[in-house]
Amino acid sequence: GTKFRHDVLPSVSPIATSQRHSNLPDIAAILSRCVLIRSVVELWGAGTTIESCADSVQKFAQYNNKDKDIADNDNNGDFSSSSNSGSRSSASILAPHRTNSRSWKITVHTLGSKYSREEQNDMRHQFAFLRFDGPVKMECPDDEFILIREVALDDKGGPIYPRHSHGRVLISENEARPPVAAYFGRILGSGRNWRSDLERYSLKKRLYLGPTSMDAELSLVMTNLARVTSKSLAFDPFVGTGSILLSCGLRGARCVGTDIDIRVLRGQGKEEDVFSNFRQYHLPRPELIRSDNSLYHRHYRPQPPLYDAIVTDPPYGIRAGARKSGSKRDEVRAVAEEHRHDHIAQTRPYAVSDVMADLLDVSARALTMGGRLVYVIPSMTDFDEDTDLPRHDCLKLVYTCYQPLSAELGRRMVTMEKVADYDETKREAYMANVWINGPESAEKCANIRDRIIEAAKQKPGYEEKAALRREKRRATREAKKKAKRELQGTGDSISHA
Amino acid sequence: HYLSHPVPTMRLLTHNTLRNNSAEADGKGFPLKITCTEIRVDNDGTGEGSTADDEAREVAFVKGILGILDWPTLVQGASQMGLKTLPPMLTEELAADPQFLRALYHVLMNVHLVRGMLTCPVTGREFPVTNGIVNFVLEEDECENVRY
Repeated sequence: GTKFRHDVLPSVSPIATSQRHSNLPDIAAILSRCVLIRSVVELWGAGTTIESCADSVQKFAQYNNKDKDIADNDNNGDFSSSSNSGSRSSASILAPHRTNSRSWKITVHTLGSKYSREEQNDMRHQFAFLRFDGPVKMECPDDEFILIREVALDDKGGPIYPRHSHGRVLISENEARPPVAAYFGRILGSGRNWRSDLERYSLKKRLYLGPTSMDAELSLVMTNLARVTSKSLAFDPFVGTGSILLSCGLRGARCVGTDIDIRVLRGQGKEEDVFSNFRQYHLPRPELIRSDNSLYHRHYRPQPPLYDAIVTDPPYGIRAGARKSGSKRDEVRAVAEEHRHDHIAQTRPYAVSDVMADLLDVSARALTMGGRLVYVIPSMTDFDEDTDLPRHDCLKLVYTCYQPLSAELGRRMVTMEKVADYDETKREAYMANVWINGPESAEKCANIRDRIIEAAKQKPGYEEKAALRREKRRATREAKKKAKRELQGTGDSISHA
Repeated sequence: HYLSHPVPTMRLLTHNTLRNNSAEADGKGFPLKITCTEIRVDNDGTGEGSTADDEAREVAFVKGILGILDWPTLVQGASQMGLKTLPPMLTEELAADPQFLRALYHVLMNVHLVRGMLTCPVTGREFPVTNGIVNFVLEEDECENVRY
């Protein structure tokens, strides 16, 4: 292990260092589970510039067993060999990778900036003293070393001081800034292996997709927040095409999904439904039930709680309008007995505020103690996490993770944990406390579709674009009508005779 | 098995949790009576693809859910699906026996109702199972607000 002082690092850094002597199986286990880790690196040296990083690596390379006493007393510079590594000398760490039988390469990773190949090679040359004897191999070498040059990033992950302007022109005052940090080490495990798995799980390869299928990475992160394991029973009350449930299945969980919409559950045909996605990845079939989540209590046992994890993307009216059971009409007619099984029960719009309140209530009932609810909710910039998120007395807010989608719109991943048993007698109180700011908060989630349209209308050029779209639609309609008339050959199109 | 077209299904574990909680049923709307038109039984795991790891996982899973099973409902449901060998009571001895647990896993997870009907024992309300999907969507006139 090595020590590197953290006081020079900005608070927003995608790089974390740890004083740890982990073995490889642990790292492999972590990487297989964590979707957002790019790589795990055995750190050989670090500094605030590439030059000082190279110095630090050089010092590390010079220590060997008989110098161990010196190393233990050494506390100058920004590097010291840690006694945590026990009796492992730096020589023993480096030597195996310098033999001529091992191929190698150095990857240069420049955060937030683009460097030419020549510039990258100049950086590599500062580490030439390491003298790896084996051949350089670009594809799958035995050892991959990495030089990371870190700069200050904003909270969206872009450089605060970009090296190039839009026109690829070098911004000299930014170019003159020193980096924030530089790290050099050997890659122990890469998210790359996972990424090739992700390719497999990617939406492009799925047999069955819908307009709201969540991207694989996001839903896998959700399963981590929900702590879904192979011992879990996982539930998605708005299962749709099953993309989130599939990620639960990939973690080995047994999966249950419900949805009110039979068309989504049934899919497009024999080869394309929620099950074909599970089959594609050789997972046991999930249970699918057609039911309305606002009436969960009508169909499922109230005690004891069932689910270790509820992971879902509730319908919030942007692309998939939410529906619930019940008639739009005030007076409802009963369906005659003989028609009951064929009757497609009417549904009515399901306000987002009710969607969320019902979701929290179902979670409070159906989660085991300590079980987690993870959901995504869209919001615009007026959303205040501290006051606008829905609440439930049985659930504690654990995390929120915000992902900006555009300047106005973002997506929030919310994690809640069950901390109290559900008391049926308190149901009214639970529901009354869901929105502490009352209807106002619910409105912020509820009318996003309309608000996005309103916001789009304010943008310049909206009228022209809208007129173009109207014209296109009219032309398509005309063309279809014409084609139909020609097909029918009735000749009742306007005669010019 | 998983490679052929997987007909969607309802398992006994799911059946164990289902209720008809309408006002009329008055809290007694279970176990739902199972009428089977088409059943599918998966290979019980001793066939291709099953490893010692898989078996250990199955036992661990069953152990984890033993506490939430309604045993009489399971016995009745299994019997209606053609499996009449479950003991009338779950004893501590049985709960500790890995062989029994593996057999229980099979009953809970590998026996599927593809087509059939679930009927409320009190009101007679029928919930059809088509292509393995239970349809609980209620008619407009059934959507009264009753909780149990």
